[in-house]
Amino acid sequence: MNGYLGKILRVDLSHSRLWDETLNEDYARYYVGGSGLAARYLYDMLDASTDPLGPESPLFFLTGPLVGTSMTSAGRYSVCARSPLTGIWGEANSGGFFGPELRYAGYDGVLITGKAKQPVWLSIINGQAALHGAGNLWGNDIYATQTLLCETLGDPKVRVACIGLAGENLVKLAGIANDHGRFAARTGLGAVMGSKNLKAIAARGTGKVPLYAPEEYKAVTNQILALYKEDFPSQSYRAYGTAGYVNLSHMLGDLPIHYYQMGEYALADNLSGVDLADKFLTHNTACHKCVIACGRETQSPTYKDPKVDGPEYETVGALGSLLMIFDLEAVIHAGHLCNLYGLDIISMGVTIGLACELFERGLLTSADTGGLEIRYGDPDMVFHLIEMTARREGFGTVLAEGNATLADRAGVPELSATVNRLEVPMHDPRAYLGMAVTYALSPRGACHMQGDMYTLDLGQSNIEEVGLEPGDRHDNTFEKGRTAARLQAWRNLYNSLILCQFENPGVQPLLTVINAATGWGLEAEDLMTLGKRIVNIKRLLNIKLGLTKDNDRLPDLLVKPLREGGAAGYVPDIPTLLAGAYAEFGWDPESGHPLGDLHL
Amino acid sequence: MAIKFPSDKWIKELSSQLNASESYAQVAATWEGDNIFIILPDTDYPDTTYLYINLQHGKASNARQLSSLDEQKALFITSAPFNTWRKVLEGRLDPIQGIFSGKLKLVGSMAQVQRTPKATYEMVKVAAQIDTDFGS
Repeated sequence: MNGYLGKILRVDLSHSRLWDETLNEDYARYYVGGSGLAARYLYDMLDASTDPLGPESPLFFLTGPLVGTSMTSAGRYSVCARSPLTGIWGEANSGGFFGPELRYAGYDGVLITGKAKQPVWLSIINGQAALHGAGNLWGNDIYATQTLLCETLGDPKVRVACIGLAGENLVKLAGIANDHGRFAARTGLGAVMGSKNLKAIAARGTGKVPLYAPEEYKAVTNQILALYKEDFPSQSYRAYGTAGYVNLSHMLGDLPIHYYQMGEYALADNLSGVDLADKFLTHNTACHKCVIACGRETQSPTYKDPKVDGPEYETVGALGSLLMIFDLEAVIHAGHLCNLYGLDIISMGVTIGLACELFERGLLTSADTGGLEIRYGDPDMVFHLIEMTARREGFGTVLAEGNATLADRAGVPELSATVNRLEVPMHDPRAYLGMAVTYALSPRGACHMQGDMYTLDLGQSNIEEVGLEPGDRHDNTFEKGRTAARLQAWRNLYNSLILCQFENPGVQPLLTVINAATGWGLEAEDLMTLGKRIVNIKRLLNIKLGLTKDNDRLPDLLVKPLREGGAAGYVPDIPTLLAGAYAEFGWDPESGHPLGDLHL
Repeated sequence: MAIKFPSDKWIKELSSQLNASESYAQVAATWEGDNIFIILPDTDYPDTTYLYINLQHGKASNARQLSSLDEQKALFITSAPFNTWRKVLEGRLDPIQGIFSGKLKLVGSMAQVQRTPKATYEMVKVAAQIDTDFGS
């Protein structure tokens, strides 16, 4: 089975059983890998009665056909389950080296059910899997856990995916860390891992991924690699990381400020990725076979945390401008705390942001928070709240349930900045109106990785062959909705291969890579078909879990016009944009259900 | 009367209009860097033309057409075919979109461009206000 190892490791933690299962080749052919393939598997295993944190809840770690090969920026893995935060489809993916190492160890993925009686960790070394007691690991942060497991296995090249305190404490904002401080952060999947008493998975192997046409594969991946050495976006990511976008984002009104209620604020430029690189960057970090190396390792002289991963653009927004904190050192430290405890930075920041807003409006008082005064612009309070959330202490127990629950509890659901209970990332749909479609239709709730209209309309991810060309970011039309839907399908294919979205070589090179890996003989038009099929399976799964067309919406906060900045006065025309997207996906305009041959 | 683009007269007019613009002076207050714009031949323009302008702290100076790249060094060099420049000046191509997509090829200090994107936008806005003759 070219492009695949052909094996899934099944783990039943309740009975300490491990066994190999042959990868379903038909599923792989139709849903590729990563979150697409996981969705096809889990479609048969999940229903509305599945408790995301119950033993029966399946948790799937999955790679894709390009992972661990010479393809640049294809070193990712996905984690998928029913989300305890949102109740719908949960997926997150992460770069680094864990995904490739899992494949070198002999598996395309690991499907976990059950709950261990005591904390355990799982080793997968060259085709041999085993469970081990994790009593000594439980309670450790993500960095210590990775170090301890490398020491235990006597191999510094072991790659570890693990949870921190947040996951152990079933915090619904918990992510899964790997390769120091990279994260499969979103939708609370760290809590699912914690609910199973599974602290970590350690992988190491020397195997190779079988390829259909290895020479052709090597040639085309080398050509693709060369594309990313000199182009402007790659140079920018290399020099300034994702936070290099901060100033431009601020100018365009894309950077959320004061809990999505301000479009411009002079101090926001203090959070520049250029300044970050000048003052705090110690070195770049890169994922498997990546020449871009957008990853940051920083150190703040004030807080002195060693080897901080990040901050990324999302960190700078969620723990900076959103909370009216404009001190990069404070943002670095807050991001570090989230990493240490294993928290999703976006969800944590947006949940604290709501607490600030509620406090400002008098809807939350110190009587509700155990005496805390939660104000905008107070980094020390943010540090404290992050710790309390990870430990589920005091008011942290409330924050641990996420933004939507906090808004419900305060009786103001209209102040929640979530779509389907997942916190909105740091790209404002009033700055790029196509992002309204991305957020409203994203299968996991508000997610910028399901259709990055901001990079498309910025000119960075131009894929003309499939109708993805930069347009006017304030275009509020049916056709913009169609474009956003095509991009969502395209990125769902990416999230299944699994490829980093900073790499956009175009259709033909990508097609050659996939065919040389798998031997599938795909044509160009098949790529978009695959992407749409993957969107559809997630849509169907969400319908099974209770989602309806009424869930295809944006939070009230994001359909009110901003008064200042590059997005001032614009709001997405949701009905028109969604009508275009439904048409592109071929969904029933009345019910929002996918139609036609769904290959189930 | 419309001024021919690209030409020595046009780049001098840009310099003059930038110096008259209060908003440019404000948003480009921290900008430090001189520029060479290279206009490459395409179907509607047969030559390669080099335009130089020095931009420092919101003010322009020493604008002129160069005979070759050997005549002057610059911190930023931006090149594109004639019709791509025309699209930018007519507001049909966003300059940042042009840079990110590679339609405008920029060589120079990315830090400057990324820290002060407003300066780039404002310069293009001022340039677009020049009554320009593109020859067709």
